Amino acid sequence: MGLQLVELKTSISASSPFLGFWKSFSKNRMAVVGLFMLATIIGLAVFASVLAPFDPKSSANISSSDIYNPPSAVHWLGTDDAGRDILSSFLFGARVSLIVGFFAAFISVVIGGTIGVVAGFYGGRVENLLMRFTDTMLVIPDLPLIVVIVALTKPSLLNIIFVIGIFGWTTTARIVRSQTLAVKSRKFVLRARAIGAGNGHIIRKHILPLVMPLLVVNAILVISLAILNESTLSFLGLGDPSAISWGQMLNFAFLRGAMSAGAWWALVMPGVGIVWVVLGLTLFGQGLEQVLNPRLETHHLMPGRPSVESDAVDESAGTKRKSKRRQDAPLLLDVRNLSINYVSDESVAKAVHNVSLQLHQGELIGLVGESGCGKTTLMLALMRLLPAAGQIANGHIFFQGKDITKLTEEELESLRWSSISIIFQGAMNALNPVRTVGDQIKEAILKHIPDYPPGTLDDRVVELLDLVGIAKDHKDQYPHQYSGGMRQRAMIAMALSCNPEVVIADEPTTALDVMIQAQILELLDDLRKKLGLAIIFVTHDLGVVAEMCDSVLVMYGGVTAEYADVDTIYNAPRHPYTQELLKSFPDLSQPEKRLVSIPGYPPKLDELPIGCRFAPRCPLAFERCTTEMPKLHELDDGYHLVSCHLIESH
Amino acid sequence: MPGDPARQGIRDPRLTKDTIEAIRIRFGLDKPVINCIESLNPVKFGPCSINPFHTQFFIYFRNLLRGDLGQSFYYNRPVSEVLGERLWNTILLIGIGQILAILIGASFGVLGAWKARTAIDYWALLTGLLAWSLPTFWLGIILVFWGSNHGFPIGGKATPGISSYPFFTQLGDLAWHLILPTFAYTVIFMGEYTLVMRSSLLDVLSEDYILTAKAKGLSTFQILKDHALKNGVLPLVTIIAINLGYTVAGVIQIESVFSWPGLGGALFEAVVRRDFPMLQGGFLLIAVSVIIANFIADLTYSYLDPRAQTE
Repeated sequence: MGLQLVELKTSISASSPFLGFWKSFSKNRMAVVGLFMLATIIGLAVFASVLAPFDPKSSANISSSDIYNPPSAVHWLGTDDAGRDILSSFLFGARVSLIVGFFAAFISVVIGGTIGVVAGFYGGRVENLLMRFTDTMLVIPDLPLIVVIVALTKPSLLNIIFVIGIFGWTTTARIVRSQTLAVKSRKFVLRARAIGAGNGHIIRKHILPLVMPLLVVNAILVISLAILNESTLSFLGLGDPSAISWGQMLNFAFLRGAMSAGAWWALVMPGVGIVWVVLGLTLFGQGLEQVLNPRLETHHLMPGRPSVESDAVDESAGTKRKSKRRQDAPLLLDVRNLSINYVSDESVAKAVHNVSLQLHQGELIGLVGESGCGKTTLMLALMRLLPAAGQIANGHIFFQGKDITKLTEEELESLRWSSISIIFQGAMNALNPVRTVGDQIKEAILKHIPDYPPGTLDDRVVELLDLVGIAKDHKDQYPHQYSGGMRQRAMIAMALSCNPEVVIADEPTTALDVMIQAQILELLDDLRKKLGLAIIFVTHDLGVVAEMCDSVLVMYGGVTAEYADVDTIYNAPRHPYTQELLKSFPDLSQPEKRLVSIPGYPPKLDELPIGCRFAPRCPLAFERCTTEMPKLHELDDGYHLVSCHLIESH
Repeated sequence: MPGDPARQGIRDPRLTKDTIEAIRIRFGLDKPVINCIESLNPVKFGPCSINPFHTQFFIYFRNLLRGDLGQSFYYNRPVSEVLGERLWNTILLIGIGQILAILIGASFGVLGAWKARTAIDYWALLTGLLAWSLPTFWLGIILVFWGSNHGFPIGGKATPGISSYPFFTQLGDLAWHLILPTFAYTVIFMGEYTLVMRSSLLDVLSEDYILTAKAKGLSTFQILKDHALKNGVLPLVTIIAINLGYTVAGVIQIESVFSWPGLGGALFEAVVRRDFPMLQGGFLLIAVSVIIANFIADLTYSYLDPRAQTE
């Protein structure tokens, strides 16, 4: 039933992209308000001749007593310096502003769009030339030039449109160029080129449709700028004398004594009109951009959601596993029945469900599973670093007796790095690009040991870098001067800087070549033995785990699949997922072994199956697997935990 | 050429032909503008026999190298002298205005990004958009209108006759005249800075290195101060540089509304009066200030971002 509903939903949005667009558009408050503001003013402008109570150009029946009359029943917005009705002039002024805005923007967008597409598409010397020209035009102050040119030519509407148009295209050209560059290297364009499509065809059929949304958003902003420029020109008395515009109304009012007559109505209304249109356009443009190019409006400094205990689970089984290798070592980290949800307005995604794990001093736990099965979420939760949408829905994390799920922000700050530190996946962006590596290590030390003897601080940084094999002359270099492997090692040095008890290594070797991978793994194992660290090593590579781990926790779809000592996992795995994983990596002792990958993909977290989460891909699945979620079974006197129905049927 | 200065500038019917000719010679207008293309009319295509060193363009250029920008038609004084006086007034206005706009705009932007998706962010964004949408001259008009009813001066830089008073009274008078134009200038630029800073900081705050800083146990304030701001301010530097280059020439709208004796006003008057030497001097100043502002921006950029130094 649930599955059918989901299919229905996707088929609707696929068949009508416009409906989907409209749905997200109507939810965007800025876009809707902006559209409303625009629609009203366009309506007023179009029907100006019907709506206007007076003819603004005729001076019949106007006497000197009509000058600067305040708003009244006859003249809703009062009269101006010549006794004319301001409301009527206002309505006709809307026409001029909109006409100039739209046509000038049209010229700008055509020029800018052409330059941007040509520069981005053809590249090379053409691009260089066009973009240098654009840069030059960008830094030339346009308003003084527009003023001079308009003043020296005939002040007609057409001239104004043209002059504003040819000075307003620079931002368009830059934006369109970068979008064209991005689109040009997409696969379908390369494919079209490979089958021999001509440049003209590629630009028309492939580039333009993808540049268009951006161009529309930009055009809206260009219109608002053109309207502002037109009103400035008219205000300076450089407008078309025969066309009533808002700027001209302000010019007359300002120069012809509205100020001393106290005629605020003559000064306020035209300005309100300009602000109304420009703000409407800006809101509409900003909203449209958010709809067309949705950006996650979340970041790392947004407050997290408080821990709750909503998903209460059966705590009886499998919450505490015994470890053969580390039986005597003190327990450092004790995770009990931890569940983590990602909460949004529409849905709740259960990223981690009822996971427990125990980490002893000096122990190395391998956390294994495919991408998207909750490994990183679990690790971030251990330090309470979950993104704003993440919420601990149940369970506890005890670190040396303290429950981390209940700590305040200040307590968390002192716990992080000094007790538990983390090496992030892909350290490429994990170091701040504008500060030296040594500086960033120092910062961590000083945060947790504020009275660290300043004279020896540099020595400590050198010592840490030396520990990970980075020579001391790299201390004052910036991250971009490091190679990928060096950055990863610098991250490790930083993680060790405050002598933590626990280090979390979240896939520290992805995106590195095999040699560097081996070096880093060796280094971590070495440090563990030397410093007595406890490490949680997150990976999707079982081979890595085999060499160094004490225990292995295999996760699938946010739940524990199997949790046991490393020998058990390799020699006697009981969960079909572990067995399949083992089949998919090479084994040196059995060179003839055929590698088999597991067909299918891990479940999506918002469409989890009702029964066992592995059932849809499991070769051994039977009826019960699709209807009932398996319990965590204790085998081998509590040394081996498996969640699979097959354990019971044996 | 529209608005020949000899015809436009001197319209007094009492002048004799000889006097006009004398004025033309005095300002060098008797010489051809540029050799050969004196007129774009192909029938009247000028002779190239004239010595190129005797054209107006070359003479202007030669004088320029000596620091001579020519004589203003209107003031009948050296252009450099008039522009020099005006320059300081403009620098006073934009100096204070830009600093205030940067401080207030950037703070609003930081606040909005940090408190993203809360009421604070909503108001910061709305303030920024509204300030951005205000037509400069209209804000000026409304301020003058409001100010004239609340004891503020209507325009200008000093109350007439103030120069006979002691220095500090004069200074106070200047400050009194500065308040409204500076306020207008600040509001106009603040909006853009708020929007740029907010958007840039939103990007920075979702970077991995911010998560690293948080994992290191740094407080929110430390992360903002030591990790986010230096990265987030980079796009703002570019915008400020462009704006500075623009506004050294004065904000034409603000200076005309408040009758502030700055460069923008001078430029606009020169257009209306067809005072070409003043216009040329003004545009030269714009060009120089654009170059200087971009140079300063490049220096600031490479100071803030080490990646820009190595390239």
